[in-house]
Amino acid sequence: MTTTSNPLKIGILSFAHGHAQSYASEIAARRGATLAGVWDADAERGRAMAERYATTFYPIEAELLALGLDGVVVASENIHHRRLTELAADSGVKAVVSEKPLATTLEDARAMIDYCAARGVKLATAFPCRHSPAFQRLRAQVEAGALGDILAVRGTNRGTMPGGWFIDLPLSGGGAVIDHTVHVADLLWLLLGKEATEVHAEIGNGFYHEGYDDTGFLTIGYEGGVFATLDTSWSRPKTFPTWGDVTLQVVGTSGVMDLDMFGQQLEHYEDATGRVTWPGWGSSLDGALVDGFLKLCAGEDAPDIATGEDGLRALAIALAAYRAAEAKQVVTV
Amino acid sequence: MTYRVALVGAGNMGGWHATHWKRMEGIEIVGVLDPRQDAAAALGPAFSDWETMLAMAKPDIIDICTPTPNHREYVERAAAAGKAIFVEKPLSRSMEDCEAIVAAVEKAGVPAMAGHVVRYFPEFAAAKKIIDEGGVGTPATVRTARLSGFPNITGRENWYANPDKSGGVVLDMILHDFDWLRWTFGPVRSVMAKGLFGSSRFDKGLDYALVTLRFASGVVGHVTGSWAHPSGFQTTFEVAGDKGLIAHDSLKSVSLSSSLRGAEGGRAAVIMPESPMIPNDDPYYQELNAFVQALRAGMTPPVTVYDALEAARIALAALESIATGKAVTL
Repeated sequence: MTTTSNPLKIGILSFAHGHAQSYASEIAARRGATLAGVWDADAERGRAMAERYATTFYPIEAELLALGLDGVVVASENIHHRRLTELAADSGVKAVVSEKPLATTLEDARAMIDYCAARGVKLATAFPCRHSPAFQRLRAQVEAGALGDILAVRGTNRGTMPGGWFIDLPLSGGGAVIDHTVHVADLLWLLLGKEATEVHAEIGNGFYHEGYDDTGFLTIGYEGGVFATLDTSWSRPKTFPTWGDVTLQVVGTSGVMDLDMFGQQLEHYEDATGRVTWPGWGSSLDGALVDGFLKLCAGEDAPDIATGEDGLRALAIALAAYRAAEAKQVVTV
Repeated sequence: MTYRVALVGAGNMGGWHATHWKRMEGIEIVGVLDPRQDAAAALGPAFSDWETMLAMAKPDIIDICTPTPNHREYVERAAAAGKAIFVEKPLSRSMEDCEAIVAAVEKAGVPAMAGHVVRYFPEFAAAKKIIDEGGVGTPATVRTARLSGFPNITGRENWYANPDKSGGVVLDMILHDFDWLRWTFGPVRSVMAKGLFGSSRFDKGLDYALVTLRFASGVVGHVTGSWAHPSGFQTTFEVAGDKGLIAHDSLKSVSLSSSLRGAEGGRAAVIMPESPMIPNDDPYYQELNAFVQALRAGMTPPVTVYDALEAARIALAALESIATGKAVTL
């Protein structure tokens, strides 16, 4: 992480995705970086965020991008990732990190990658889960052969229904499946080092009975016969003690390892709210993501950070799941 | 009246059934058929020949606890003899055999019950009651898991390791989940499964399956079956609906845990979680007692061979999906 006298100037394009607030506070907390300004299509939200993170709100993207930024965080609605990433790339930044999913179509994702590459801009995908210390420990154990040959993985990334634009399909590109496939798909890529070849999916709307998918059960086949399933459903009720989970059960010839990425939790019973909650106490994964992103902004390598290609690879599985559900059969990725 | 019970098969399950039959009022074990005469004699009057047992022991109930491949033969014999039948799960290894069993029972008009004991496990029964009462609203997703090591039998053939006889973890173990799921959520419309069955891994003593189900109701289900866990036994389930969620983990929901020093005084040899029940709440006692109560009342037993056939249909579809790589529509 750089600590030169000239801190890296970072801008945030849109706070539509709640994770933007986490990135903003992580950036603001680092001596080597400064949050130079923010833009948001929703001016009221943009001003509030600028005030919260002690920076300037710019009502027009170009005004923010004219500051000579080193890096830009894109945390808009999914449909706008491509446009904002390309705007940022045009401004001469060294790196752009886009919230996941990278885009809503493979064409957009590929275009973002190519556009950035042509301008010498590093494109990153916001996959904080790969920075989890528990996942990295699991991955190291797998690579050291502790589980023998990996045979199968059972994954979940279940959550509460996020509402807002996440369930407005023209803005999100899909519901629970596009929202929650990509994190675990990325973890599986890192763990297996193999490409997914085929996908089957049962998709439904049994929780909210609306036009968006709130249920997704994927079966994924990998090169060499390894298989995985993934539950992407927004199945946590409003009263659930936490937002959701990321779990992996990894089965190998020498045994089984179970990852509960956010299992570092307390149980909190609070009469004032009438609720039970599970506050997490694990390491900040967004902090690790921001550290890597700032390295890219400083012109350094950050091999642990998910690239645009990583974002595209994960998106392809989510989009294949929608095709499979439509076809009611296994499809190739 | 006292019912006269003849056990067929004196293996693990036969022994377990005998324990509960002996505790039950109005039940007498009058015969145990097994080529291993010592094992048979340990449970009751030993017989090595079906006809002899039938003639001499004069049983009212035939309790079939043989390995899966022998179920059809003994159901057909018992039905032809007009006996009440209790048959262990899985009903059989093929749909053809399952249909023959149902046909034999129907033709003879004898009462018959299948050993889908998970319906009598109190945590599963309690969850179903809450679901039926609307405790999660309309169910949308359900996940269950049944995890253990590869089953082993010492001193005789380990028929579980023979894929043609046992059907692996899918037919022998998560069949329990399929029955409970069908009982709770209704018929299944399609099955997608991946697993180690049929691969060289199975031959090396590993089986693991991930099965996705779509119910006619729209509910989406997922069942994990493992014979790949080196130690311990665990079941978990979670049912989520539009108004709530109910979950269980057998390793967390326990009433007694012990960590005992090994013989050498060093590390714990085993860490053992337990959830003991009073004897009459034991699921095996409950299911056998439910069968007897149905017989006494002249009612259809609560888990029929048709139910068992439908559970086997799901499991066999999962094995077909594993073999073909495609989703199977029922």
